[in-house]
Amino acid sequence: MTRIFLLMLAGTLVACGSTPAPRLPQALEQAQTADKDARRALRNGELLRAQYNFTKVLALQQSLDDTAGAATTLINLATVTHQLHDDAAALVWLDRILLEQAAIYPAESQMTAAFRKAVILTNLARLKEAEAALALAEKQCDKKCTLRFGMQGLQARLLLLKGDAEGALASAQALAKEKDAGKEEQTNAVRVAAAAEEKLQRYAAALQHYRMALETDKALGLGARIGEDLHGMARVAKLLGRVEEASLYARRAELVSESQRDR
Amino acid sequence: MTLLADKDERFKNLFGKAVIFILLALIGIGLVFLWTGLKKGAFTPKSPVYFVADSGQDLNEGMPVKFSGFKIGKLNTLALDEQGHVQVEVIIETKYLALLRQDAVMSLKKEGVIGDGVLEISRGSENKPVLAAGGKVRFERANGLEQAVVDVKNRIVPILDDVHQTLSDPHGDVRQTLKNLREFSAEMRGTRERLDHVLGSVDNVLGSVDNNLNKEVGPLLHSLRQSAANAEALSGKFDRELPSLLKKADSSMESLRMTSEAIKDAVQQAAPQVPGVLGEARDTLGKTREMVGSTQDVVDSLSTSWPLKNVVPPPETGPIRMDSHD
Repeated sequence: MTRIFLLMLAGTLVACGSTPAPRLPQALEQAQTADKDARRALRNGELLRAQYNFTKVLALQQSLDDTAGAATTLINLATVTHQLHDDAAALVWLDRILLEQAAIYPAESQMTAAFRKAVILTNLARLKEAEAALALAEKQCDKKCTLRFGMQGLQARLLLLKGDAEGALASAQALAKEKDAGKEEQTNAVRVAAAAEEKLQRYAAALQHYRMALETDKALGLGARIGEDLHGMARVAKLLGRVEEASLYARRAELVSESQRDR
Repeated sequence: MTLLADKDERFKNLFGKAVIFILLALIGIGLVFLWTGLKKGAFTPKSPVYFVADSGQDLNEGMPVKFSGFKIGKLNTLALDEQGHVQVEVIIETKYLALLRQDAVMSLKKEGVIGDGVLEISRGSENKPVLAAGGKVRFERANGLEQAVVDVKNRIVPILDDVHQTLSDPHGDVRQTLKNLREFSAEMRGTRERLDHVLGSVDNVLGSVDNNLNKEVGPLLHSLRQSAANAEALSGKFDRELPSLLKKADSSMESLRMTSEAIKDAVQQAAPQVPGVLGEARDTLGKTREMVGSTQDVVDSLSTSWPLKNVVPPPETGPIRMDSHD
């Protein structure tokens, strides 16, 4: 018994001394620290700070000729800039990857950049350009990458914006059934399906889908989308003649939008 | 009965080997403690020294005691006596007691502008005996930045009041000087009008000198006499008033000079402190930044070591999240 105890004690002592993480060259460590700071700032909602730190990371990565890292940072910068509602600047960051003639950036980064450009252009209602960017992303993905569900969701949104509500509904319903798509993309698909049904005057189904999307968005804590769901529910409830319910949803939507503006 | 089959040569004396291994680890840990204790001065002989403070404000247990910039001890205990005074015990490394005299003074100072408080002990007079263990020293609080600001304020405010009074008093030198100047200007204007009149008359006289020489000369001479009389009266008044006017102007200038001197003195006293204050503030900020950086390094290192690495999520890499609806 004593021997077992001593052996266990020795084992514990040995385990305490795990190898420390090796130190990297200073510039690499600086880049990693700045990247960590940027991501932390982003989590805390400090978008300007995140943008500044990502710019610092980009400069360090470029000085180290780390093109793969620089491509990721360019995408991150574009995303943060988009969140800061400066879409023109966000597109410029993405174009630095997409318009690069020399094949220095990884194909995956090019595909991600093309997809994000398509999302931003769709938000700006520049549908033809968005379709071109999405086509580029889809070509590089070839239905094998992890972004394929996002691309399908965006395709459904584009169809809806172009007025093809039936097509959008079919695409969205197919995506909503994909278990590998992840909760966020599935919910996006449900929301697109609800909007398509609203356009097709299938108000009861639309209300039900908006409600489903709302439940998941609440669980995911996505404020802006909760507002969007509630606005949709208010519109559809009104069209269904449920005025009191509609005004309740509208009031809730307004409260959510107000809180989003205060942030 | 043995727990493990000792057929393999390597398992022979396993118990002894494990004991040696553990002993080595324990000796290593003991040496680390010993080294740390030596570094921290745990084995250095120390002697108590006492002082009484009016209040315990800014005094904390563990506060360093410095002599000529070196840490020679620390504040050990604080206790409130029956009279409401604070009895303080500091412990000083015995080897440094020889440097201190019985009239040494313990001052409470701040390290930098916003730094921690430190106790600084002065050497004392050379002709006094060496401070003995258990001896008592005098305590005082050194003036900090707040006191300096209050001093400057106490000097500036009376000066500003004086300037305000000098400018606003209706019977004061400045107002009186301005009034006299105004009166003098009005009188000069009257004199000029009279001279204009005289010159006009002269023009008339010259124009009609041939025809009305006898008729005009009389009034002209009368007018000239009157002008001369007026000028004489004015000159007399000017002679009377000018010395007092100049005296008042001198007095005003003296008052302004004194005010200027007082402001200069105050600024000269305050100015040398400003670069020091700024430098200290900059140093403090630099140190704080370094400390935050070091803390971040320590936390980062710890997060990659067992057992914390199992509970800390791995750092994110790759593009930040954005879906088809963002």
